[in-house]
Amino acid sequence: MENKKILEINNLDITFTTTAGEVHAIRGIDIDLEKGETVAIVGESGSGKSVTMRAVMGILAKNARVNSGTVKFHYTHEDGSDAEVDILTKDKKWIRQHINGKRIAMVFQDPMTSLDPTMPIGKQIMEGMIKHFKISKAEAWERALKLLNEVGITNAEKRIRHYPHQLSGGMRQRVVIAIALSCNPDLLICDEPTTALDVNIQAKIIELIKRVQKERGISVIYITHDLGVVAKVADYVDVMYAGKIVEKGNVNEIFYEPAHPYTWGLLSAMPDLDTDDDRLYTIPGSPPNLLYEPEGDAFAPRNSYALKIDRLKEPPMFEISKTHSAATWLLDPRAPKFEIPVEIRNRIERMKSVAKLEGSDE
Amino acid sequence: MRKIDYTKEPLLKVEDLKQHFKMNRNYTVKAVDGVSFSIWPGETYGLVGESGSGKSTVGRSVIRLYDPTDGKIIFDGDDISGKMSRKTVEDLRVKMQMIFQDPMASLNPRKNVGDIIGEGLDIHKSYKSRDERTAKIKAILKKVGLAEEHISRYPHQFSGGQRQRVGIARALIMNPKLVIADECISALDVSIQAQVVNLMKDIQEETGTAYLFIAHDLSMVKYISDRIGVLHLGHLVEMGSKDEIFDNPVHPYTRSLLSAIPTPNPIAEKTRTAIPYDYASSGIDYRKGTYHLIDGTHYVKCTDEELKRFTEDKQ
Repeated sequence: MENKKILEINNLDITFTTTAGEVHAIRGIDIDLEKGETVAIVGESGSGKSVTMRAVMGILAKNARVNSGTVKFHYTHEDGSDAEVDILTKDKKWIRQHINGKRIAMVFQDPMTSLDPTMPIGKQIMEGMIKHFKISKAEAWERALKLLNEVGITNAEKRIRHYPHQLSGGMRQRVVIAIALSCNPDLLICDEPTTALDVNIQAKIIELIKRVQKERGISVIYITHDLGVVAKVADYVDVMYAGKIVEKGNVNEIFYEPAHPYTWGLLSAMPDLDTDDDRLYTIPGSPPNLLYEPEGDAFAPRNSYALKIDRLKEPPMFEISKTHSAATWLLDPRAPKFEIPVEIRNRIERMKSVAKLEGSDE
Repeated sequence: MRKIDYTKEPLLKVEDLKQHFKMNRNYTVKAVDGVSFSIWPGETYGLVGESGSGKSTVGRSVIRLYDPTDGKIIFDGDDISGKMSRKTVEDLRVKMQMIFQDPMASLNPRKNVGDIIGEGLDIHKSYKSRDERTAKIKAILKKVGLAEEHISRYPHQFSGGQRQRVGIARALIMNPKLVIADECISALDVSIQAQVVNLMKDIQEETGTAYLFIAHDLSMVKYISDRIGVLHLGHLVEMGSKDEIFDNPVHPYTRSLLSAIPTPNPIAEKTRTAIPYDYASSGIDYRKGTYHLIDGTHYVKCTDEELKRFTEDKQ
């Protein structure tokens, strides 16, 4: 795999103006993505994961204001020359013509609301291709059929004329993926692609996205709060809390050596099938309201490991390894010694032993 | 630790429950088609299945939001499946309560929390003075982890997790013997889910109420349940204690369901593949199956030949 950067988000900072006041939703975010990689962005609702991706797509709401930061996207023109743009400096019309759908495509959570109920699915798949590639209807039809086969819809000749309400939930999500893939994007953003689906269909959709990614060599960004999905698909993980990335690392580092108390909480809040503790370790309280600028570390009020400094000063990102870093004062050399919660320790031990068992089978 | 006495009479006994919905003259939806199970006092029974399997319908039939088409439901010694006497209805409405999926949609936005929680008390006139009513509501608020001053607030002033706590408080104020929790955590964030589940466990420990826990999240169901029933297309295809189901699933649908659960463990997860299951092409006919005992309390609904095939497939 060639190490080519495709997306670089630097120090992104976004405020929303609402009737209640200014909401500082994104407070300085850096994300890098290389070609062919998968990054998962994890966090609770309201942590700003979807807003970040909307900024990348240039589809922020009208009341959003970008205070600072750049979103650099690298792509190749049809003639083979490379180009780099800062999406935030471009206007909506330019983004629609050159980026949306064509080079960055998005899959949303609920397939029923992202499909047009008044249009057959074939027509919806063809729309983007006709617009961006300027091809004939007949050719677009052929390509749409191919796409439907690629995403695993049987009897495509018949299905292509169907309306969304005639399809099941899993099928609809396959159609949405087909639309996203129709213009050969370099980057696919999946915003909670499986949350609305049953577990067995969820597994199929994820395997589909993985397969397509491998075949086409595209990069994928997952936005999700399901750590099971993250474990399956991600190369790198960014954990977001209150508009900031609090921990980032490759997937093994996040799951086997989590350093931030929030990540501990997230990991243990989801019971695995071997959990036999009597109680789940939980994060007390609920996420902060970003209408009020948090003082110090935004996570401090919910953090039983909070130090005095957490309430005064925001922690910087401490580097643990080349790829792994976390924003918590616990990692400062001056911090007192601490023990990670026993539930987490047991959990990680158990995960490691299961992983070894599975590993030795190969 | 909680102990459940399985030699006693069950609290709820559902026998061959059928719930059909007539759509038009030629078409009837058989949402639940012959489901039997029992819940003992103080126990948590998990009902799992995909969307459309009929798990919510079972819950709603049991609490008599629907009129069951056929079958018997015996709750606390009373038959509640057919026409009920006035006393039975009143009993049922007190002893069985429900917690719904979406706390925003199930709480009246124009009533304050005190009135929402106190409504049951008002209807059944279970207090002598205003002070007693307020005291009861305040006590229950405390029990579910809310503050006393929340009593005069409205649902929109709460976060999702707090709203679900109000829903739980409303269910608990009548001291029910059975609480039906229909997907009561699936609309909440992961960290909040864990808080609510812990709360439900604590309350069970304290009051000894039984839960019918309906969900599609299998890892949560395993965590909270004592026994589990797996529902598919209106049929209870497999049931047993949680260890029997999770350690030794026999029915291909259960095995497919279990294999599809994503686990938060990257190395193991990357090698795992789900077992596919398709009812139409599997050649299994749920209607022909009868319950076969595997061991202990573990039953599978199938025919003799199918059972042989299932056990062979497993090896």
